[in-house]
Amino acid sequence: MAESILRIENFTMHYITKAGEVSAVDNVDLEIRKGESLGLVGESGCGKTSLAISIMKLLPENAVIKGGHIYFDGTDLVPLSEDEMRRFRWRRISMIFQAAMNSLNPVYKVSDQIIEAMETHFGNIDYSEAREKVANLFRLVGLDPKFMDQYPHEYSGGMRQRAVIAMALACEPDLIIADEPTTALDVIVQDNILRELKALQEKLGTTMIYISHDIAVIAEVSHRIGIMYAGKLVELASSEEIFHHPIHPYTAGLMSAFPSIVGPKRELATIPGEPPDLLNPPSGCRFHPRCQYATKICREEEPEFKDYGSGHMASCWNPLGG
Amino acid sequence: MEEKTKVITKPKVEVILEEEERKRLKAMPLWRVRLYLAWREIYNNWRLFSENKIGLVGLGIIVFYAIMAIAHPILMKWVWDPNIYDPIIGYSYDEVLQPAPPSLRHPLGTDPLGRDVLSQLMYSTRSEFALGILAAIITVTIGTTIGAVAAYFGGIIDTLLMRLADLIIMLPFVTILIVLSALFKMNLIILAIVIGILSGFGGTGIVIKAQALTIKVRAYIEAAKVSGGSNWHIIFRHIIPNLMPLSFLYMMFSVTSAIFSEAVLSFFGLLNIRMSWGLMIHTAQTAGYLLNPRTWWLIVPAGLSITLLCSAFYLVGRALDEIVNPRLRKR
Amino acid sequence: MLRYILRRLGQIVITLFIFLTLVYFLLEAQPGDYAQTFLSNPKLTKEQREALKAQFGLDRPLWERYLRYMSSLFRGNLGISFEYYPRPVVSIIAERAPRTILLFLTAQILSFLLGFSAGKVLAWKRGQTFEYVLTIGGVTLYTVFTPWFGLMMIWIFAYILHLFPVGKFVTPTLWRGAPVDANYVFIRILLSAFVASLVLFLVLLATRRLNLALRRGLRGAGILIILAGLLAYWLPSGITRYALDILYHLILPVMTLTLINFAGMMLLTRNSMLETMREDFVMAARAKGLPEGVIRDKHVARNAMLPVITSFIFSIAFVLDGGVITETVFSWPGMGLTLLEAALSQDIPMVMGGLVFTGILALLGHLVADITYAYLDPRIRYT
Repeated sequence: MAESILRIENFTMHYITKAGEVSAVDNVDLEIRKGESLGLVGESGCGKTSLAISIMKLLPENAVIKGGHIYFDGTDLVPLSEDEMRRFRWRRISMIFQAAMNSLNPVYKVSDQIIEAMETHFGNIDYSEAREKVANLFRLVGLDPKFMDQYPHEYSGGMRQRAVIAMALACEPDLIIADEPTTALDVIVQDNILRELKALQEKLGTTMIYISHDIAVIAEVSHRIGIMYAGKLVELASSEEIFHHPIHPYTAGLMSAFPSIVGPKRELATIPGEPPDLLNPPSGCRFHPRCQYATKICREEEPEFKDYGSGHMASCWNPLGG
Repeated sequence: MEEKTKVITKPKVEVILEEEERKRLKAMPLWRVRLYLAWREIYNNWRLFSENKIGLVGLGIIVFYAIMAIAHPILMKWVWDPNIYDPIIGYSYDEVLQPAPPSLRHPLGTDPLGRDVLSQLMYSTRSEFALGILAAIITVTIGTTIGAVAAYFGGIIDTLLMRLADLIIMLPFVTILIVLSALFKMNLIILAIVIGILSGFGGTGIVIKAQALTIKVRAYIEAAKVSGGSNWHIIFRHIIPNLMPLSFLYMMFSVTSAIFSEAVLSFFGLLNIRMSWGLMIHTAQTAGYLLNPRTWWLIVPAGLSITLLCSAFYLVGRALDEIVNPRLRKR
Repeated sequence: MLRYILRRLGQIVITLFIFLTLVYFLLEAQPGDYAQTFLSNPKLTKEQREALKAQFGLDRPLWERYLRYMSSLFRGNLGISFEYYPRPVVSIIAERAPRTILLFLTAQILSFLLGFSAGKVLAWKRGQTFEYVLTIGGVTLYTVFTPWFGLMMIWIFAYILHLFPVGKFVTPTLWRGAPVDANYVFIRILLSAFVASLVLFLVLLATRRLNLALRRGLRGAGILIILAGLLAYWLPSGITRYALDILYHLILPVMTLTLINFAGMMLLTRNSMLETMREDFVMAARAKGLPEGVIRDKHVARNAMLPVITSFIFSIAFVLDGGVITETVFSWPGMGLTLLEAALSQDIPMVMGGLVFTGILALLGHLVADITYAYLDPRIRYT
């Protein structure tokens, strides 16, 4: 059994806004083993991106950590100062951002931006040595190194995404968080990139967290899947289990909301209602207003996040399949 | 053979209404509806505007000077002796030495020709406002038309107009006015027209054109075209009314620029006018009191007024900018 | 990049051409015709008048006069001044222009540097009252009545504090019996400033690629060498105190002109920084673990700079205008003051010459600023 590289314990984070405090991430427990790839799925605003940026502590000014721990390779990141965090950023944990165009600085060459990361973390690296590394990284992600010295706006969407992946790999991190890495791309490019990401991950043995609202994407690349809803982690299991034996009604709803090419024609099932307002989250289980199986206890108490056998975790008072 | 049918469309301005309001309005005659909608717009915009303290400061200053402008003829008629206090031909017999320092009788003192400074200040306010507003109206009329035309027709008309605008904004405005005043004698009205035309063909057109481009692609323009509206009809009845908020905003900046330019030209003595703030400073200069801090009242009130009124309009413009450009609003 | 420069250059030349044509028609449009105006110089004798008439073809049709005018312009002939007859306009411009250029360039560069740095640093400071004070203060400086502001500066610094001279650009007593005239010294000041800036620019360019320690060391050395070079040139030249006198007189006008333009630059930079800080690549830069200072300067400022440079391009015209006013208030005998005096005394050839000069200066400034912008923003080079 591989050791755990990231252990999130009871983590809670709020945003302070003019309207009040928004409970973005609430009491999340999560553990990821070295070399594994975990997918985090959920609707917009469910807290998955908030959780991701919390791991790197890239929180905006109005965000406040209310409690919990994030143990990365044994060190709790929560109490660390900005200066101390900088040693971890990119070198140990890096990130592939959504909409790669915006995460590349438009006025600098792509190679320079990657070299910048290297120079920051490998202080005594020589310029030409750095360029060599960049060329290698490019080849690794399927980009021709001759494009190295061009500007981001000269790349196509797929190229940019690959460049951003190359940049994320630059300092040989232990953990990579990929936030919607393919959302901005067309389906064919999306497919290619996902496949390459998966291959890269297996080749380098890097631990990965994939974040997406698209469960099809997640299913392709993850060993395990975590389902998030309204700031809470409601189910966590291997991809197989999630697809064939979902426990939480929300998970089941996500599965059936998906049209399938194979099988008989059926009506597209949707989950009724809208995601809750996190300023005033629903009492008890946060999903209860939209859940067809909701009972009295669901309205009153929050269900425990517990193990239903061989690591399949869920928090529900009326789990599916008994 | 198809004829182009005359299309009677009202200016399509985007308005969002609540359900109940809509029901109530359905019962009213059309003109009343329009009035009601206009009032609503103004009221909402005022609410937005007053949230911005800076805009209120500017507005306050403008109101202050407006009161001064109105107060002057009243004072002249009922309070002050015209022989002494007339801003142009008066003479302060009640002071021995001219220019006289501020006193109870002459709160801002007198100028080298014996005229009361406060009276001059108040009298000029009128012409400053008139000049500013006239120039601004001309600028914005020309600028809006150019912007709309350039955006709508595109192609060579667009290129020509924009190149012209580029040329104009590259050149120093005051310098050109100086040259013009050497070639033609200008009074306030001519100056206002000249400033209006120069500015109108310049930067304003570029900004308004950008906005007009976003309007041009909206659905109701397509609808108007399809139902047979002629080009000019579309421009004047649909595009321009939607540009009004932006135009109004730019009027503020035009006023600032106009007042400033006039003041500079009068200060140089290049204008053919009888009294203005710039001219007050010029008078001080020709009489040799310019660099003397002891006769501060000859320069400070006029200079301060120019600065205050210019910044007031600019601040109001800035505040309006936040209404017109919602993305600038504080989150 | 080169293609962009050539294209811009071509556009500027065309614009210049249109500008000069408009200037000519402005002349023609004067009440009373151009011919009469030119010939109405009271200082001309009858023979001179006839000779000029023939020389300028003032009795020929419009298009021919236009062609003559344009060709003489391109040969550098702007006519003969009425006031300073028989000095040609170009010689007066040649004499006064360097003074205006020195004032203009110094103020423009200083206001940009100061405004940009201030805006950059102030973007990190927030707070409601702070922002109000900053905005109102900035706007006041920005819209202040320039002549009045200049006068205030003189009152405070020259009269009350006795720190600076009241105006003009030389102290007559110092210069009595000087071996050279003011222009000689002036040109040399301009040239040495130009050379020094050029060398500095090249040093900065060449040391870009190196790592931190080496870069700082080399740049520091470069600056020292430039200073040494300047001293080596000026000290033994014997005209240093004259140069210093000119510079002493330059301080107050430059301060005035800089302060007025600085506010706009600072407010704009600050707003631009605040907008840029919200961009995703800034978060990406933080994620990369870069130090705060690097993020601020290399990532935020470098992008926030772009709209500021655009506004800098437009501010060239304002600084030129401000220059005219400043020159008048401080009696700094540059082209601005000359233009004004010419306008007051109806010296039409001089006025037109001044206009042409100002136009060319403005267009040149534009070209330089455009190219700088293209250098800083790679996206624009392909439009």
